[in-house]
Amino acid sequence: MPEPAIVAEDLTYRYGDLLAVDHISFTVAPGEILGFLGPNGAGKSTTVKMLTGQLRPASGRALLLGIDVARHPKQVQARIGVCFEQPNLYEELSGVDNLRLFANLFNVRDVDINALLRRVGLDGRGADLVGRYSKGMKQRLMIARALVHRPAILFLDEPTEGLDPTSAEAIRRVMLEEQQRGATIFLTTHDMYEADRLCHRVAFINSGKIVALDTPHNLKQQYGKRMVRAEVVGSDGKLLTREIILDRPETPTEIADLLAHQQVVTLHSEEATLEDIFIRLTGRGLA
Amino acid sequence: MNAAAIWALIQKDARLYFANRLFALVTVLGLVAYAAIYFLLPATVDETLKVGLVISEMPPALAEALDDDAVVVQQFASVTDLRAAVAAGEVTVGFAFPPDLFDQLRQGARPTVELLLAPEVTPDFVSVYEAAARELSFNLTGQALPVTISEVILGPDLAGAQIAPRQRMLPLFAVLVLMVECLGLASLIAAEVEQGTIRALLVTPLTMRGLFVAKSLFGSLFAFAQAVVLLAVTGGLAQAAFLNLTALLIGSVLMTGVAFLIASLGRDLMSVMGWGMLALLIMALPTFTVLIPGLAANWIRLIPTHYLVDTIYRTLNFGAGWAEVGSNLLPLAASALLLLALGMAILQRRFA
Repeated sequence: MPEPAIVAEDLTYRYGDLLAVDHISFTVAPGEILGFLGPNGAGKSTTVKMLTGQLRPASGRALLLGIDVARHPKQVQARIGVCFEQPNLYEELSGVDNLRLFANLFNVRDVDINALLRRVGLDGRGADLVGRYSKGMKQRLMIARALVHRPAILFLDEPTEGLDPTSAEAIRRVMLEEQQRGATIFLTTHDMYEADRLCHRVAFINSGKIVALDTPHNLKQQYGKRMVRAEVVGSDGKLLTREIILDRPETPTEIADLLAHQQVVTLHSEEATLEDIFIRLTGRGLA
Repeated sequence: MNAAAIWALIQKDARLYFANRLFALVTVLGLVAYAAIYFLLPATVDETLKVGLVISEMPPALAEALDDDAVVVQQFASVTDLRAAVAAGEVTVGFAFPPDLFDQLRQGARPTVELLLAPEVTPDFVSVYEAAARELSFNLTGQALPVTISEVILGPDLAGAQIAPRQRMLPLFAVLVLMVECLGLASLIAAEVEQGTIRALLVTPLTMRGLFVAKSLFGSLFAFAQAVVLLAVTGGLAQAAFLNLTALLIGSVLMTGVAFLIASLGRDLMSVMGWGMLALLIMALPTFTVLIPGLAANWIRLIPTHYLVDTIYRTLNFGAGWAEVGSNLLPLAASALLLLALGMAILQRRFA
């Protein structure tokens, strides 16, 4: 079994009296995409900062690629790419100059800047000042910046937050390409659809603790309700909605009865969303 | 530390500096303006004293007393004319002797000599001119005091070689050039913190030390280069060039330390400017002691730029060398390193 790309062991962090991250432990396998989900203030960013060497844990430790982050942050940072939530690019420099600067910082000589820009859909805009880019373009450039040294692990903090569909889709495509290349991806997001679609596993964090960690499928199996929702014509001619819970002994009979005795207009199967499960587990939403 | 990474950061800072139109403009125009002001200021000092006289006849004794290269005597027909000349600044001081001066003296009376002075004459000079009026009156009566005055100049004798205003201004220009760069560097750093680019830099293999080395090199060398250009253009490197270059280089490091401190205090461009102006005022104080001799007090030595200003001023104007002002470099270097270390320590807390 390969060594995990990320190991968090009993990680804890305090801001004064506030326990921001409360003894969390998890591992991420190489090539895995882990979604880290939680509302604002849940401890997501603090966890990412400890994993990327920006904060030293109060207790516990983080190992990335087998290296202790707190002891050797620069060794770790040489092999990870970080994409921040808020754009933090040099706006008075061009896109190419931004990427070239970071290539130099990572001591990468053979990077094809234009190919990188093409990958994130910014070909032909590399010479423009970043200050003239739209929010989506800046976010895509930040992704390109995080990829400039072909990192083994990518940390992406809300990479598609508030973006237009085209930019968001371009970023998701690059994430999948990187995963196929073998990179491990630690994705922080509010977007349940994105997490469901991209992540091999998702972790729910609330009040500094991980409350659930599994594949989206298993979480839905474990905590969600599958059902069939039907629209039928009532006796007065009006449309009525009927819901039949699946996975129960009486379910086949109920469905057969519905189809035999009701005039069915629409029939859809439905399963719980990750957001439904998060609310069920924590009693609060993700917003 | 990766030299290529440091060089990349220096290049980046240079681009960002000149991308800021304000600093680009101030840097270029500042250099041109300082040089222009230098050459527009008088290169010499007029050491002559213009004296206006109203006297019915010039006795040989008085003519002899006023016979000096430094004194230009102009006679006026009336007190009214003399008053107009003093008011217009044509003469510095006017002595109006009464028309019947000698008659009054012969009769044992006490004639009144009118001393006419411009409003800007300071009280101590009024006393000097009063004494001169009495001395001239003594000479007129042929009763000059039988005293020989022996002049002893303590320090360099500047008679005939007064320091021109432009030479007095040069240390101020040098400090101003360094300070403008200091403000530019401080605003660059504050912008990096505000825009979050520092975080992006520090999650790469770049260490905090590497970051500070790059910032220090950019700030110090850029400021030093401009100060050198200014002194070269104005002839400031004609004497004790190596000594002055050394002092300027240390001065540039000093200002980089000040820039780090300002950046650690300032949250945005406006607050950086506010703190920067305060720092500029303090750092420029020693230059005023050169512009206005006699202003110096011992506490001025607590301001590190004193040692930079003193070195430049004395090498350029009094031919001082390592023996005379070399000792200035030690406190200058010590304060530069202290401020640099302090600035880095405080700034590091902001980056964390």
